Amino acid sequence: SCTASLNEDLKEMLESSKESLKLEAMKRIVGLIAKGKSASELFPAVVKNVASKNIELKKLVYVYLVRYAEEQQDLALLSISTFQRALKDPNQFIRASALRVLSSIRVPIIVPIMMLAIKEAAADLSPYVRKTSAHAIQKLYSLDPDQKEQLIEVIEKLLKDKSTLVAGSVVMAFEEVCPDRIDLIHKNYRKLCNLLVDVEEWGQVVIISMLTRYARTQFTSPWMEGAEFDENKAFYDSDSEEKKDQTEAKPYVMDPDHRLLLRNTKPLLQSRNTAVVMAVAQLYWHLAPKHEVSIVTKSLVRLLRSHREVQYIVLQNIATMSIQRKGMFEPFIKSFYVRSTDATHIKTLKLEILTNLANEANISTILREFQTYVKSQDKAFAAATIQAIGRCATNISEVTDTCLNGLVLLLSNRDEAVVAESIVVIKKLLQTQPTQHGDIIKHMAKLFDNVTVPMARASILWLMGEYCEKVPKIAPDVLRKMAKTFTAEEDIVKLQTVNLAAKLYLTNSKQTKLLTQYILNLGKYDQNYDIRDRTRFIRQLIVPNEKSGALSKYARRILLAPKPAPVLESAFKDRDRYQLGTLSHSLNLKATGYQELPDWPAVAPDQSVRNVEIVEPTKQPKSDDKFYSDDEDEKEEEGSDSSGSGSEDSSSSSSSEGLFLSVRFTVSGAFSFHEAKLMLLVISITNISMTAGFGSFLPKLEFITIMISFFYDFFFFCQHCLFPQNDSKNPTFRTSGISLFHMSFQVTTSSFGPLKTYELLHHMTGKGLSAKYHFPRQPCLYQPSMVAVQVILTNSSDHALEEIHIGDQSPASLNIHCFNTIERLEPGASVTVSMGIDFSDSTQAANFQLCTKEDQFSVSIQPAVGELLMPSTMTEQDFCKEQGKLQGMNETSATITMATANASRQAINKQVLSVANVGEVPSSQNNFSSLEARWATETEATICIGSPKLDRRLKNIA
Amino acid sequence: MISQVFILSSKGDHLIYKDYFRRRNHYNHKDLYFLHIRQGGLYWVATTTVGSSPFAIIEFLNRLAALVKDYCGSLSEKSVQMNFALIYELLDEIVDYGYIQTMSSDVLKNFIQTEAVTSRPFSLFDLSNVGLFGAETQQSKVAPSSAATRPIQSSREQGGKSEIFVDVIERMTVVIGSNGVLMKADVEGEIRVKCYMPSCSEMRIGLNEEFSIGKSQLRGYGAAVRVDECSFHQAVRLDEFDSHRILRLCPSQGEQTVMQYQLSDDLPSALPFRLFPTIERDNGGRLLMYMKLRCDLPPKRSPLTFVCLISLSQELSSPDQSAELKPQSRAVVWQIARFAGGTQLSALFKLEVPSLSSASMLEVGPVGLSFELPKITATGLQIRFLRLSPVQPGPSQRWVRYVTHSDSYTIRI
Repeated sequence: SCTASLNEDLKEMLESSKESLKLEAMKRIVGLIAKGKSASELFPAVVKNVASKNIELKKLVYVYLVRYAEEQQDLALLSISTFQRALKDPNQFIRASALRVLSSIRVPIIVPIMMLAIKEAAADLSPYVRKTSAHAIQKLYSLDPDQKEQLIEVIEKLLKDKSTLVAGSVVMAFEEVCPDRIDLIHKNYRKLCNLLVDVEEWGQVVIISMLTRYARTQFTSPWMEGAEFDENKAFYDSDSEEKKDQTEAKPYVMDPDHRLLLRNTKPLLQSRNTAVVMAVAQLYWHLAPKHEVSIVTKSLVRLLRSHREVQYIVLQNIATMSIQRKGMFEPFIKSFYVRSTDATHIKTLKLEILTNLANEANISTILREFQTYVKSQDKAFAAATIQAIGRCATNISEVTDTCLNGLVLLLSNRDEAVVAESIVVIKKLLQTQPTQHGDIIKHMAKLFDNVTVPMARASILWLMGEYCEKVPKIAPDVLRKMAKTFTAEEDIVKLQTVNLAAKLYLTNSKQTKLLTQYILNLGKYDQNYDIRDRTRFIRQLIVPNEKSGALSKYARRILLAPKPAPVLESAFKDRDRYQLGTLSHSLNLKATGYQELPDWPAVAPDQSVRNVEIVEPTKQPKSDDKFYSDDEDEKEEEGSDSSGSGSEDSSSSSSSEGLFLSVRFTVSGAFSFHEAKLMLLVISITNISMTAGFGSFLPKLEFITIMISFFYDFFFFCQHCLFPQNDSKNPTFRTSGISLFHMSFQVTTSSFGPLKTYELLHHMTGKGLSAKYHFPRQPCLYQPSMVAVQVILTNSSDHALEEIHIGDQSPASLNIHCFNTIERLEPGASVTVSMGIDFSDSTQAANFQLCTKEDQFSVSIQPAVGELLMPSTMTEQDFCKEQGKLQGMNETSATITMATANASRQAINKQVLSVANVGEVPSSQNNFSSLEARWATETEATICIGSPKLDRRLKNIA
Repeated sequence: MISQVFILSSKGDHLIYKDYFRRRNHYNHKDLYFLHIRQGGLYWVATTTVGSSPFAIIEFLNRLAALVKDYCGSLSEKSVQMNFALIYELLDEIVDYGYIQTMSSDVLKNFIQTEAVTSRPFSLFDLSNVGLFGAETQQSKVAPSSAATRPIQSSREQGGKSEIFVDVIERMTVVIGSNGVLMKADVEGEIRVKCYMPSCSEMRIGLNEEFSIGKSQLRGYGAAVRVDECSFHQAVRLDEFDSHRILRLCPSQGEQTVMQYQLSDDLPSALPFRLFPTIERDNGGRLLMYMKLRCDLPPKRSPLTFVCLISLSQELSSPDQSAELKPQSRAVVWQIARFAGGTQLSALFKLEVPSLSSASMLEVGPVGLSFELPKITATGLQIRFLRLSPVQPGPSQRWVRYVTHSDSYTIRI
């Protein structure tokens, strides 16, 4: 009832008209979800707010929807149309978040809608949206695995994406949906390697792990046969290793792609993300030639200074590595010294590593360190230290006696755990040392009464039995004591008592016959079946009777056989069967879904699969400020251009200049169809954060930064072309274009002021002739593909200049419409002439000679990107439509800084116009005003529609 | 791939619970692996199903804790409870369907809408009697520790102060042998920047000019400030580092570790503390421990907290000394409230130990010191200057703090 009334309250709040109440209600609801309480019955009330304009509220509704949509499928469907609409939003973040939520709604009925949305988003201009679509692939796959084939197509497409933002996410999708389709990687392998450094860090982890697997299937092993993986010799100098390599009969040549991977991952060892560092470390461990693996050592040791949870996992991995490659970590041995502040699990791992690293040279230092560890208050750690001493003693024969003596001293320690552990270790050591150790055994027998730890008692009993001939007097006495306490002992002690009894019976039956029989009788009725079984077996074996077979003859040889010494080895000995850095490695058990790292192929698969045809290299922008050049041959293909439907440029869109705090511009659109291909231009003014506005309390010195980004994209398919070529000659279009230009030009002149004039020829160099030029931003009269340039020629000399004309041009292919020769220019006079220059859509300078009758002067005109554009007209709908089709492979950006105080619409227009020749899209929506541009390129056939858009949102700062 | 994220209180109550795959009910506990860290007195737990590197998840949890700290101001049960909507929003943004998307606060600030709630507005003035890192002190010139614990978003607001905190934090690991010889001395340090500047485009941190890295490189004539190795945050530009020892960076809001460095074995200055222990057995079978402790800090410098922990492997009966005896840990804790530089303190502990033998005398020790030294760096690293550009409009405050902690300062007896 209490929750019911609470829910009623919340419902009421949600239905109120006040945003603040709704918001408060949603916060409380999210609070319920966060605590794991149910809020499902509020679904109808919440879902109504999905289209809210308040972003904060909207986001909370999204959180709710994702959580409950599956439970309330029918109601959830009501919200789908909202997301579908949002998928077309000009703002990339809104598109992305709509896709995210839509793909998180797990309602099978919308699978086709999701599929369509993913496909569209995968071709989106914004890399952020494409990244989101990559994430959505996995969600759809888990909802409906039948979509696999279609999804793989999307993955294939996204793998080709050159954006670093997308790379990580699409590889995640690849790993989830089709990790076995390694063929999809071939062509993208080199690109992924090269992009890796710039990929976002979590993406790096995924890509590196995928590439590790890839490399193990595609390259041959760089490890020489002589230098097998588990070399136990210390690994000091790589020279000897190399010599060994050279003696190999068949020289190994590393695949250049294999080398590329190693080289490009190396800088990532400096990453501050521990997961990236470990990913690279395991890559080197599994892929690099032996002598190169030590590159990762320093970085791994550096991770030891991180959080202790990280330390723990790093130490586990180092422990595994240090077994096979002591040399790697030996110089850093001090880093593994235990600190008093370390947690026990860290201490034991460090101990493990120190033991692995111990050799003849450093054992004395290590043992001294161990001595202080034994004194530790942390008993589990002290016990582990004793084990470690035991291991050092067996591994390094020089110190066996020293260790044994030290351990015997520990037998008089006051702490029982220490004593018990020492006994267990001494027992193992004595077995490896078949020489006389009667004294130690006697000493232990004396301790026997005080030792209560079962394992230690069992160990002493075993020693008594095994070496009973060395302690003939004491052993029967110990057995006598055991007979008294037999029933109260732990199972393990009982078993060893039976064992001792049997051995004594065989060696000293006179003294112990009765005792043995007594113990065997006790054992016969023990509760534990193991002990009953063992007792029955021993009795049959050692006591001769009519039923006992031939076996009892050999009883002595069976029970007192020389036994092989136990090998004290590291718990990490066989951890290397798991790939380093994986969960399975940390847990030392095969985690669900663990994929084993494939072994190297014996013969390298075809290397050429990774070759990529060089795709139109000239199209890559040469540098940031260079426009691409587009003059290489292309396949002719029939195509045609047409403009988007003519639109009326109504609505002066007087947006209110109220208080606004966040402005986001997204300008996109503009593509051109040039013969075989469509060129796309997106001008995107993104992400303007404006912190103050009219009437704001903030200081006026806040700045708005406007980013204008131009995206050029040439990888677009013909079928998307909306603008057939022949229409470009359509007079209607022409005029509409020009009229729009006039409109926007007026905007320009009224607000923009004088055009920028550039110097072409200084009068000093021009022997009196000076020339200046500007871009009038008019369509060129001579050829549509040309950019109009006005040149003002002035004669500042004292004599008249004759025959001013244009001479040689370079490059030769340059298409210039020259002005008519000026026969005579009087001193002090000036003349304005018009030229048309075809820049071929590039910012490459047009070089030509300006000649007079006597002289020739080389001059050049280099246009800014913005001058190559032409404004165009389109409605907002068309704009959105076009914008959605753009891809954002290439972009050019310019930054405008202006004071908020002046952030009126005109002022922004003015600023934008100062860098690019764009026009404004009339907007009917309340807060929207937009800019639009048309971009004219060199050929008649080429039309670009660029539709930068300005989206201004009111946001409450609270 | 992360399945669920929990933030649990120290008692194990759910504070936040986010399930990225709630709908997939075919997951049973068998296939789930739990990883957790502990920070700010809270447990940060993530569950994972398949194929994840444990590093990624531990790193994720650590980053998450740092992000929540940045966004909520401080990490505590209370601050998490008050900001569940904000934290839930964060969790929603950083992980999508179990895959980590981004954890950069610069990217996230575009998305996060919810404002942080703090228990009370912080003021520098009402805390002036509380010292650095919360300990009681008279150091009034030092910025209060809580000054840096406020949400980064608060700088968006009207009253948000433009502040920047640069902390040089060093941790010492020292082992002194029973013969008084220094066996091991390690210093790990870091420069941490916490930025509350909404519009700081570039910051220049000048270090000592004689700062050098590695053994070969020595600069200038004075005592060089040397470290063995150094690593920098990826946002740091080092073009002026070689010539002028200037770090340039564009700090994003919130906290970041700009530089980490390490120095082993070769400390430029004397150790801050030396201990001269004598251990004897008196006629009555009591254990006498005579401790002479010297503080070698410059005069007027003194540690904020100082604890001397003498561990004994003995069972102890009550001692006739007033120093505190911790029977559980079998140790004597000698706490010194004020310990000025250049002074020396002695103490005699008499301990009744049943059946004291000469062998058990060997089991006394080691002595551990824990302390916190404000305004001192063991390596001698100093911040020469801190410049911001563009020049900040309005008043802005820059705080530079130095502190040296004892990570593990052990004296063997």
